[in-house]
Amino acid sequence: METGRYILRRLIYAAIMMLCTSAVIFFLINSLGNPVELMLAETPGVSQETVDLISAQYGLDKPLIQRYFIWIGDLLRLDFGTSITYNLPVGGMIWSWGLHSMQIQIPAIILSVAVAICAGTWAARRQHSRQDFTVMGTVLLGQSMPAFFLGIILIYIFSFVLGWFPSYGAISTRRLLWGSALFDGLWHMVLPVAMISMFNIATLTLLVRTNMIDTLRQDFIRTARASGLKEGEIIRRHALRMVMLPVITYVGLLLGLMLGTSPVTETVFTWPGLGALYVMAIQQLDYPLIMGISIVIAVMLILMTTLTDILYALIDPRVRLE
Amino acid sequence: MTSMNDSIDPVARPARFGLFGRCLRTSMTGRVGFGLVMFVVIVAIFGPLLTPYAPKDQSAMYAVGANARPSADHWLGTDRLGYDILTQLLYGARTALVVGLGAVLISGCAGILIGGIAGYRGGWTDEVLMRFAEFFLVVPIFIIILAVVRVLSKAVTGTAFETMPYFNLTVIILMIGLFGWAPIARMTRGEFLRIKTLEFVQAARCGGQSGRQIVLSEILPNAFPSIVVLIALEIGGAILAEAMISFLGFGDPNAVSWGQMLYFNYQSLKIWPMASLAPGFMIFITVLGFNLLADGLSDAANPRARRR
Amino acid sequence: MNASAQIERSDVISTDDVILAIEGLNVSLPAGMDRDHAVRDISVELRRGEILCVIGESGSGKSVMSNAVMGLLPPQLKPVAGRIVFDGRDLLTEPPEALRDLRGRAISMIFQDPLSALNPLMTVGDQIAGVMRAHGVGTAQTRRARALELVREVGLPDPELMLLQYPFRLSGGQRQRVMIAMALALEPQILIADEPTTALDVTTQAQILELIRDIQRRKGMSVMFVTHDFGVVSEIADRVLVMEKGHLVEAGTVQKVLTRPEHPYTQRLVAAVPRMRGDTREGMQGTPVVLKVENLRKVYRSGGGFLSKERRVVAVDDVSFELRKGRTLGVVGESGSGKSSLGKLLMKLIDCDGGRIILNGADVAAMPEAAFRPYRKTIQMVFQDPFASLNPRHTIGRILTAGPVTYGETPGVARAAARRYLDMVGLSASAFDRYPHEFSGGQRQRIGIARALMFDPQVIVADEAISALDVSIQAQILKLFADVQAETKVGLVFITHDLRVASQICDEVLVMHKGRVVESGPPAQIFLSPGDDYTRRLVAAIPGAEITLSHDGSPQP
Repeated sequence: METGRYILRRLIYAAIMMLCTSAVIFFLINSLGNPVELMLAETPGVSQETVDLISAQYGLDKPLIQRYFIWIGDLLRLDFGTSITYNLPVGGMIWSWGLHSMQIQIPAIILSVAVAICAGTWAARRQHSRQDFTVMGTVLLGQSMPAFFLGIILIYIFSFVLGWFPSYGAISTRRLLWGSALFDGLWHMVLPVAMISMFNIATLTLLVRTNMIDTLRQDFIRTARASGLKEGEIIRRHALRMVMLPVITYVGLLLGLMLGTSPVTETVFTWPGLGALYVMAIQQLDYPLIMGISIVIAVMLILMTTLTDILYALIDPRVRLE
Repeated sequence: MTSMNDSIDPVARPARFGLFGRCLRTSMTGRVGFGLVMFVVIVAIFGPLLTPYAPKDQSAMYAVGANARPSADHWLGTDRLGYDILTQLLYGARTALVVGLGAVLISGCAGILIGGIAGYRGGWTDEVLMRFAEFFLVVPIFIIILAVVRVLSKAVTGTAFETMPYFNLTVIILMIGLFGWAPIARMTRGEFLRIKTLEFVQAARCGGQSGRQIVLSEILPNAFPSIVVLIALEIGGAILAEAMISFLGFGDPNAVSWGQMLYFNYQSLKIWPMASLAPGFMIFITVLGFNLLADGLSDAANPRARRR
Repeated sequence: MNASAQIERSDVISTDDVILAIEGLNVSLPAGMDRDHAVRDISVELRRGEILCVIGESGSGKSVMSNAVMGLLPPQLKPVAGRIVFDGRDLLTEPPEALRDLRGRAISMIFQDPLSALNPLMTVGDQIAGVMRAHGVGTAQTRRARALELVREVGLPDPELMLLQYPFRLSGGQRQRVMIAMALALEPQILIADEPTTALDVTTQAQILELIRDIQRRKGMSVMFVTHDFGVVSEIADRVLVMEKGHLVEAGTVQKVLTRPEHPYTQRLVAAVPRMRGDTREGMQGTPVVLKVENLRKVYRSGGGFLSKERRVVAVDDVSFELRKGRTLGVVGESGSGKSSLGKLLMKLIDCDGGRIILNGADVAAMPEAAFRPYRKTIQMVFQDPFASLNPRHTIGRILTAGPVTYGETPGVARAAARRYLDMVGLSASAFDRYPHEFSGGQRQRIGIARALMFDPQVIVADEAISALDVSIQAQILKLFADVQAETKVGLVFITHDLRVASQICDEVLVMHKGRVVESGPPAQIFLSPGDDYTRRLVAAIPGAEITLSHDGSPQP
């Protein structure tokens, strides 16, 4: 009952957020100039009449506000329009390129969480020891390492010097590894996944360690010890549940942002994902594609943070009361 | 232990030489971070004196050619476009610091102001401002900045802005700043809310001090340590954001930026790795410097959390 | 004084009766603390079926000792000498796994703050059953049945429903009952209670003490009860140990220690215990009224936003009183009674929802801040928490002079006044240029009083001004209040949860309950012949009535 009301409130709130975000995206991008004019600016010999004609064709002669509502209406019918450069429906493009992005993002997130929980807990239980110091040092370096720099180093070492992994693409163009598309795909995923994981592992390990140290200091852990619980049981049954709360929030953010952070990753590895598509769309000023991709990324982010909040409330009974 | 903690301060004690002094005295990471940041600052200020080449000097193209190995004239060699790599690195430090400080000046002022008002006033003001901030926290900032920077660079063709020097860089700084205030606002608000209820603030009210006096002399100084930590982190973050924007090819063509060096040279990584690895390394140590400094400041701001 | 020798001299006991023996225990502190031992050369014997109280002020090492028995000392505290013998085994040398098995099964412990001591994310039932699970006792069903039985045994309402509750929904007393249920789950031989009632209201404290005493008798358990309150000691103890700075200074039966304390420290401590006084304070009758409050009312509203119901709590309901010059009005009540809200209303730190506050002949209740400003000088406040009430970034001088300077005083005059008042509260003028963290809790409270005096106010509101302090410091600060009042003739509104304290300092007492004044009158009437039901319960719940009721301040049995 209480939980139901909380979920309902979160969902309504998410809907409002989505509306605001769509407005920001639409007006920020569209108020800066007529897309057709901008696209044709460098093409010589285009008359104003031609610009007006094409503008009318795309409905750009209508007032901005009206265009916004038309756009929203189309979005609600899942009609994202047609890409100008590719002449394909934007919805379909987002789906197929987006799947490629998830192919590296989701394994990376799963890997990061698994590694971080182990490493963070391990370090927290050895606070101020040499091992803890090593973990913390690595974490601090990892957090400051710009993703693309790490990617470049990985490519240089593992592709160019050692030649173990491919440096670009999602699949071999000539000969598949071991003749299998599956193995070949996995082979191509190794470096991008490693690059994405590295930063997440650093941040999450720090998060787990800090919260674990904090939790282990709390009185209810002392109670568990005084009740004769085994140390492993205390970590698993009592402390980890507490530590998972901020981890869930962060992982929700990662899942929500996974398409939003992909432009850099996918550019480094020439990975045919949504981020790379977005960079291309911006270069080409392909308006339907730009707006389609950014609204999908925004909606995804809001949905994920909302789901996280709901999950959080299910674990922590105190939140539901607010 | 209940018997040991009879003196827990709700706010940190004043340090003799301020927060930075304590950071440098007590924290290893703080010292290393400070050293790295100072290195970048010195390079930014005096760097141009150390090189005979202008940042946009491509004359090496004729002398030694592109992607040249290190020589007496070009200590780190030249890059794909015939620029002297060392010169580019030195000038890049300026851009990085300008971006970092400029963006954080905007986001810091806006964040402290908005967060401070929300935290001090509370009630409806707080509700509205924090919903607004929350919105900025769940917007895919990077994606939007990319689009705006690109569209704007195109849209100004033929207007007065086109001739403005470093127009693109200014837009990038503005956008990073305008989209980066929310975390600072949230932190400031949290600190204000917490400190506002402490008894010394009530005592100041009982002593007849005005709201302005209370904020400026009672609340803000005690909230500042936490905010400074976040600001140090955000400087690093802003530098990284500019590097990523430039790496994707949407940087300012007139500015010398490490991200842009990567963008230009990345394709020839196999031929001449120095041209890509050197600017990448500079970005790394700059961001690392600010992150470590933040870590040290955070230790200095909450000395007890560390010791226990 | 050699305490262990004294035990042997006064009580000859057979070793069979001793269930736990601490022999020559030394626990070292890490370097850089103000002393090198947390406890030094402690020898204690806990006998079968007795309640042994360990009493001491903060920093006395009493908690270190009890945690050492449980093997729960933090890593920086190391037992360096001595033995803790239980069941023929030395707990200090036992392997960790054997110790773990003893905890919860043979020796259980309950703690001070029952909210933080319970896992906020687990239901009460899971936490109680968890103790049995940890020791491999029973199956899921039998554990649940046993949990239900325990919940009944400790007197929690709706046992079935209680098992499914989360700790944050329970009251403080209920939480402590859950803790006790957990501790009793495996029928331990020893229960260690570390200040289990300190965070509770006085009526709840009385119930929990009764529960512990009751269970101890029924099960024949031995209890080691750590406390700082002699009232609690007199309620529950069979024998008492007194600790000071890590040393055991006195041990003996409760009668002996409370009535004939031998060690000077014990004597001072016993003398400092606030006692109920039934007499009326002399003098100062018929002085002018400095503060008059009529029908004051405050309602807190929360929620009421989108999709949530508005919650209204009436914090202060129709409160009226008069305060005369040089007199002290006590406001007593338990947590949630509205006494602190009343203090904030008087200071206009929060706005009221009705009623009048007449200060200096003007009704300030509805005044906007700007109009009230001139009146602020006449009413000042002393706060509860000595560590939060002074801005850590300002010198004492600045803290004291900031107010008067805002009101247009010249800095020179303000500084001179600050030095004068520092002297009045018993601090040297050198305090002027120092920072708050250089002072102890009691000294900071003196600074807080000096700050209030800087304005030469007619009324001082003291909100729990001594409750964060050790009992011996409490006595000093109480005396300071009395001295200051005698010298400045200031009217005092003294807000406290401690009826004994109120009885000592007040001319008149208001008893508040759920926002209303249920009874008011001189302390003699309130405490000796209370007219209201709630007051009667409150007075009855004061721990250690037999030792603390006196007319002349000397300990009487």
